[in-house]
Amino acid sequence: MTVPEDFKTRLKIAKSKIKNHLNKDQEKRGTFMGNAFKLGTELVAAVGVGTIIGFILDSWFDTKPWLIIIFFFLGSAAGMLNVIRTANKMQKKD
Amino acid sequence: MASNPMEQFTVYRIGPEIKIAGIDLSFTNASLFMVISASIVLLFLFLGSKEKKIIPNKIQLISEMFYKFVAKMISDTAGPKAKPYFPFIFSLFMFVLFCNMVGMLPYSFTVTSHIIVTLILALFIFVAVTVIGFIKHGFKYLSIFVPSGVPAVLLPLITIIEIISYLSRPVSLSVRLFANMMAGHTMLKVFGGFVVSLGILGGWLPLSFSVALTGLEILVAFLQAYVFAILTCIYLNDALNLHH
Repeated sequence: MTVPEDFKTRLKIAKSKIKNHLNKDQEKRGTFMGNAFKLGTELVAAVGVGTIIGFILDSWFDTKPWLIIIFFFLGSAAGMLNVIRTANKMQKKD
Repeated sequence: MASNPMEQFTVYRIGPEIKIAGIDLSFTNASLFMVISASIVLLFLFLGSKEKKIIPNKIQLISEMFYKFVAKMISDTAGPKAKPYFPFIFSLFMFVLFCNMVGMLPYSFTVTSHIIVTLILALFIFVAVTVIGFIKHGFKYLSIFVPSGVPAVLLPLITIIEIISYLSRPVSLSVRLFANMMAGHTMLKVFGGFVVSLGILGGWLPLSFSVALTGLEILVAFLQAYVFAILTCIYLNDALNLHH
């Protein structure tokens, strides 16, 4: 079974057209919105986890307010680290 | 008539109560909709792969599209080493996608709008990725907590921050999916309630909003499944390829 030459070239042209249009427009618009959601939760989650770790350690060691305060700030730092990393990854992709 | 917008999220028991060792294992509407979503995925892929034609029919085309979409996503984000994990990520993506999409049907129940469902999925991924990392690299995997080129004074602080950042992964993964689905469905219900309470004179504006929001929700349903799967790929990539 041979494929006619004419059909091959037409297929190539059609494929490149699809790639140019679909990939650049729709995929990017989708990922932008996904990225926007991603950054927000990334920051909040780390702050939450840090605070919870501080709370647990506080009740273990009986040092009531101190560790929760320290771990809140550490969690905030981790959240910012997360956001910076995600943003860097986004920039690399483009 | 004006019902509580959170009422759609109530979980209730279907059929007899099953209790094993004090744990309630009854079949609920949440389990029912999980079963429905999983069987739709299975049926859809079965029909899609039944006739392997060179010129595909519609259902085969769509299932091949999903396959290629996920395969491309994995090879783009995690590289060729992640190829063996394709079945896992594909089933995860399809399950989350169809749970979200089934939730968009009227009178249905959105499984992913419950944090316990998404948290269990995310925790499973978290544990699996950690185990894969330790199997592939042994104790050298712990070096992801110690970034290179940091002065020795700051090292303990940075390590704690890195550990918190690592532990926050399942939380952010699950909260994102759950919050998006729950907020969207609540908003739809609230606007639906406005239509009823404003009546035939004023109800047209919220009705048009409702239509637009339904479109947006379908987009969000797809997008969140995509984000869930792509983040799994990114975490897998961190576990497979240590230096980054």
